Formats: sequence, C-alpha cells, structure tokens
Amino acid sequence: MADRIVIQSFSLQYSATTPGVLSSVSLDIPSGTCCAILGPTGAGKSSLLQCLAGTMQRHHPESVASGTIQIGERLFEALPSHVLFPSVGYALQDPHVQISGVRDTVFGEILFTLENTGEVPDEPAAVILPLLRKLGIDHLADRKPTSLSGGETQRVALATILVAQPPVLLLDEPTTAMDLAAQEKLRGILRGMKQSTTIVLTDTQLDFALGICDQIVVLEQGKVLFDGTPAAFLRRLDEFHTSLPLENWLPLRQQILRLLDQPSRLGSRLALTLGLK
Amino acid sequence: MSFSIRQRITDEMSGAALPFVAFCIALNLTAGQITAALKIPLYLDSIGTILVAVLVGPWSAVICGSAANLLAAALGNPSMIFFIPVVVVIGAFTGFLARRGWFRKWYLVAIGGVLQGILAAIASAPISAYLFSGVMMAGTDFLVLYFRSVGNTILNSVLYQGLTSDPADKLVSYFIVFFLVKNLPQRLISRLRGASNLRAPDSTT
Amino acid sequence: MSTGQSLSRKLALVLLLWVCAFTLPWTIQASLCVVLIIARYAVLPLRPITPRSAKAFSRFILYSIAVATFIILLNGLLIKEGAVAAKVFGIPLHKEGLLFGARTASRLLLLSFSILLFFVSTSLPDLIEHLQTKGLPPYLALVLLLTLHFLDQLPARIHQIFLAQQARGAPVDSGLLSRTKALFSILSPLVLSSIVESIERGTALELRGFLQRPQVARVIKRSESETDWLTISLILLALAVLIYRIVQWLIA
Repeated sequence: MADRIVIQSFSLQYSATTPGVLSSVSLDIPSGTCCAILGPTGAGKSSLLQCLAGTMQRHHPESVASGTIQIGERLFEALPSHVLFPSVGYALQDPHVQISGVRDTVFGEILFTLENTGEVPDEPAAVILPLLRKLGIDHLADRKPTSLSGGETQRVALATILVAQPPVLLLDEPTTAMDLAAQEKLRGILRGMKQSTTIVLTDTQLDFALGICDQIVVLEQGKVLFDGTPAAFLRRLDEFHTSLPLENWLPLRQQILRLLDQPSRLGSRLALTLGLK
Repeated sequence: MSFSIRQRITDEMSGAALPFVAFCIALNLTAGQITAALKIPLYLDSIGTILVAVLVGPWSAVICGSAANLLAAALGNPSMIFFIPVVVVIGAFTGFLARRGWFRKWYLVAIGGVLQGILAAIASAPISAYLFSGVMMAGTDFLVLYFRSVGNTILNSVLYQGLTSDPADKLVSYFIVFFLVKNLPQRLISRLRGASNLRAPDSTT
Repeated sequence: MSTGQSLSRKLALVLLLWVCAFTLPWTIQASLCVVLIIARYAVLPLRPITPRSAKAFSRFILYSIAVATFIILLNGLLIKEGAVAAKVFGIPLHKEGLLFGARTASRLLLLSFSILLFFVSTSLPDLIEHLQTKGLPPYLALVLLLTLHFLDQLPARIHQIFLAQQARGAPVDSGLLSRTKALFSILSPLVLSSIVESIERGTALELRGFLQRPQVARVIKRSESETDWLTISLILLALAVLIYRIVQWLIA
C-alpha cells in the first residue's frame, strides 16, 4: 500500500525573478520507509513537502519548477497541479491549524476528513475508534479538539490525516512544542506505521529522526548535502555541524562510532535504538 | 442559486479566503470591543465586510456582511437581521469598486466612501422607517426627530439622517481599510483572491 | 423528537409569527409578544439553552420595552392627527400618532421576539448541521462554524494585542487623534496574523480534502415518522393567515 517517491533533478523558484528555493534535488525514498529531511530554517524542507503534497502550484501559481516527481505510479512533470489528497497526507507544522475547529468533538473532527473523501463507511466508529486506539487517544474521542494539550493535539491532527489511509505521509517538523515523552510516543506510532505508509518528515534537529528513519537527507540552501543511512550520517557528523545543531552529538561521536564498530551487545542495542540497523 | 453564481462564490472562497471571511465576520462582531477600549466614537461594524470586499471579492463580502448580521441576531440583537439588505449593498458595492482598482488611490477611496455612505443611507432608510419608525436608540435619533418635527415624513427624515451621518462613517471605515491593506506584505495578500485589486496590472511590487 | 424535527417546527413557528407581524392587528401582535415571553419559560423546546442566552433574552425584553415606549411616544408627539389622547409633561400626544406608534412597535417586537426566541433556544452548530441536510452549501456551513470558533478566540487575542501595544507605549489613553493611531497598532497585527492563520487553515482544509470532491451528506439519523404534522400545520396556518389578509385587502 505504501508508495515509493522518486524525485529527479528537481528545482524550484517561487517566481521567475526570485532566487531558487530548491536546486537539482534528486531523492529516491523506497516504499514503506521513513525518510528524515534535516536542515536549518530556510533550507527548503517545507517547500519540498509542499511540492510533494501538491499545494505549491496551487498557492504559488507563479512558481517555476523543473524536473520530475514520481509518487507511486503517478509521474508529474515539474509540479502536481492539484492537492494530492488522499494519496498524500500532509500534517502541517502547527497542529492547531490542522484542526478545523468546526466540529465539537475529536471524533467529529476525524469524521470530517472521511466526509471529504466522499466515502463515509456505514459505521464510521468502526474506522475511527481503532485509529484513535492505535494513537493512544481513544479516551479523547468525545473531547473538544480545542481543549487538548500540545501533544494530544498533534496526535489528533495526525489522526485526521491518517484516517484517509494515505500511502504517503508528510510530516512538517512534527515535534515542535512537544515534550520528550510525547516525542517518544510519536516515534513509536510512526515506527508501527512504516510498513503500510511511506513517511517523509522534516526537522531542524537530528534527535527525533534517529530511532525511526531509514534514510537521512540533509538540505541546505535548497541543495542536498547528504542522502544516506543514519549510520553513514553519524560517521560524517562533523561535516554538517554548520547546517544542523549537533552540539549534543559531536562530543559523543567517537563513542558512538566505537560502539557501532565493535561487536558488542551494547553496540548492537545502541544501533537498534538509533535505528541504525 | 444559478450554477455560475455558485461557481463564482466557490472560486472566490477557496483556499485561504474561506477562513479569512470567517475571521472578518467575527471581526465585524467584535470590532466594537476595540473602539470601546480606545474610547473612539466609531462602530466599525462593517470593517470586516470592507476588508473582504477589497482582499477577496464582492460575493465573499456579501456573505461576510450577511452572516455577521445573522450571527449578531443569533447572539442577542435580532434587529440586525432586518439590515441584511444594507450589508449586501455595502459588500457588493465595495467589491465592485475594489475590482476597478478604487482602493489603489486615496482620493478614489474618499469618493468611494462617500458614495458608499449615500447608498447605505438609501438602502437602510425604508427598513429603518417602516420597521423602526426611525428609532434606533442611538444619538442619530435626535436628527430624525428634528427632521420629522420640521414636517418631513418618517422615510424622508430617516433618509436625511442617514445622508448626514453614513457618508462620514463609511469614509472613515474605507480609509481605515485602505491604510491597513497598504502596509500588508504582497506575498500574503497574493494568497487571497483580491490581490489584483491593490496592485496595478503591470506593477512588479 | 429529533433535533431536525424540533428545528423545523421552530422555523415554521417563526414563519407563522412573521406572517402575523405583517398581517394581523396590532392588538393581536402585542398579545402574541406576551405569549412568546410566557413560552420562553413554559414551553420546553423554546427555553434558552445556556445561561448566556437566557440573559440575552431578558436584556432584550427590557431594551425592547424602552424602544417600544420611545416609538409610541415619538409618533404620538409628531403625528398631530386625531384627538389628544394624553399629555406628558404638558406635551399633547395625539391618538392617531399613538396608534401608529403602537402598530409599528408591536410589529417590530413580534418580529424581534420570534427571531430571538428561536436563536436562544437553538444550538447554532445544530442549526448549521440541519441546514446542511436541507442544502446549505458546505463552504457556507464551514464559514459559519469557523466564525463561531473565531468568536471564541478573538476577544482574548484583541486583549493580548491591546496589552502588548500599551506595554510598548502606544497612546491608548491620549487624545482622539493619538487613540486613532493606536487603533491601527491594534488592527494591523490583528489583520496580518489573521491572514497568516487563514493561509495555514485554508491549506489544512485542502489537505484534508475539503471541497476537492462532492461532499458526503452528514449522516443524520432520521426518526421513524418522516411526516411532522406540527411543522406542516404551522406552515399551513401561516399560509391561511396570509391568504385571509390578502382577501380582506382585496374586498376592502
């Protein structure tokens, strides 16, 4: 069910007279995997997600793009001309705006997405409640969506996208305003989803991505600086200290590499935890 | 509603426009809170409608004004429902002027505001006269009282009162919106449908 | 009784009362106003649903008494036809003027009370949902529901901006001109932030497929009896009153 994403020599400018936002980006994200696109603010991460979701052309009609984007069987020359819902689910950075605010309960909010698909099952509860249970928020079904905590809102916002069962899921900086416990919960949820959904998430930091992603891409000023496995990334950590806040990681680099290279139980456990194997 | 009108409304209210219209309806209903806090003798109860007319389009402005009056009625002021025809006129006329670029130059804004006030006075006079006998429990009632006492009919009295106060009120509202949108970043306005109302056709800024 | 049935009945009642407001004598209209005030307390479906709406109704009754009194006295004073019916502080009030004022006031009150009673006893989200099943376009329903959402948030947001501007020295307490400048310092960030939020919300709605394809009608459980005789009776009564009045007018 998950779709493969292939981006070939993709470049983007918001208009013909503005500097490029993305420059010859080529990526291959296998189906059923998680790719983390890391980079500083302004690197082009969100712009790339908007291109994949089909909102770029819609909201910036003067934008100029070249290259191709392939999602599953669908090939787009330059940009998709319309929003790719429900084949691509896109969770915005601020979960509060993702919640429409037009329904009184979390259940109703998620049902709103199903209504938009044009295919509401006879028993919507049979679809929605198991999803809420999977995300650990079934106890919130009757709550007002605007009365939830940041982490709860994030998961409800995710549920409003996941209910449409998109083969591709895009997450824009999903851990903003999330505490560590909520981040760990989200990590567990995304790990469980990987087989059925191709996940692309963006972040300005490494911390969340490690442990779930199979592929790391580093973007800076619209160019791909790195595209590879987390293990390969960790070996080249000091090349990216100007692009990413790696102060917490650089001092540990030698120890991490030693543990990875030595055949020890701790090393294997570390590798497993960091998703390096 | 014919298909083409429905289609035009749907086109206008797509994307960012729809939540913006909702915000402006709420602004119509709460703007009085701002003027009350600043002790400014203005109502600004059409400011949201005018903003939508300029930044989105006339159909959305009509919906904005009508919905605001409907909700005002629902929230405890039922007489607002009778003035829906007036806000339809305000929204449609302002949208019409905005489409023709009248919000690009201050002197056109001034003329437009006065014209709008005259139209609003003409539209509201029959409603105010027939349903309310000109009594709105506002300071302007004394003007109506004066005009009636010198021999005018209720309708004419209300009309003269409207022509005295509405152009000034709408002129101020128009200028407030003019100065507000003048300073908005172009990249944001371009996400609403009415960006071309504020920018000359071949302008690059 | 389902929510939809209750709403249909109340809408039919409003229609009947509006027809009465434009066709029946003012004495009957005034009596109907009194009946509506009693109904607000006595008839369960017409009771206010929240304390706030109950307060709004009570406040409006007081306001409308003031308005009605003003309308009657003003017209009694200014329409100098017929005999002098009364004197207030020595100022004569003429019968025809008082009657004209009474007719205007009773019509206005009946129209206003019927609308207000409808709204204070009705949940707006339920009303919007009901109208959607009757054909209200989804984008209009969404605008109205989003407005209710913003109405909740906007006063607090305005207050925050007001305090922030006051803290940075905006002249909120100075002369009129300075306060008008301060108005812009509040409206400008408010409008700007609303456009930014609208862009994000609009995108979020599209990303959830809103208006991308034909909307599925909300699943509404219908009661077993589809025919609501009370609603139909109220509508027929309204028609009967209208026809009766037209016939009377034609004969006269």
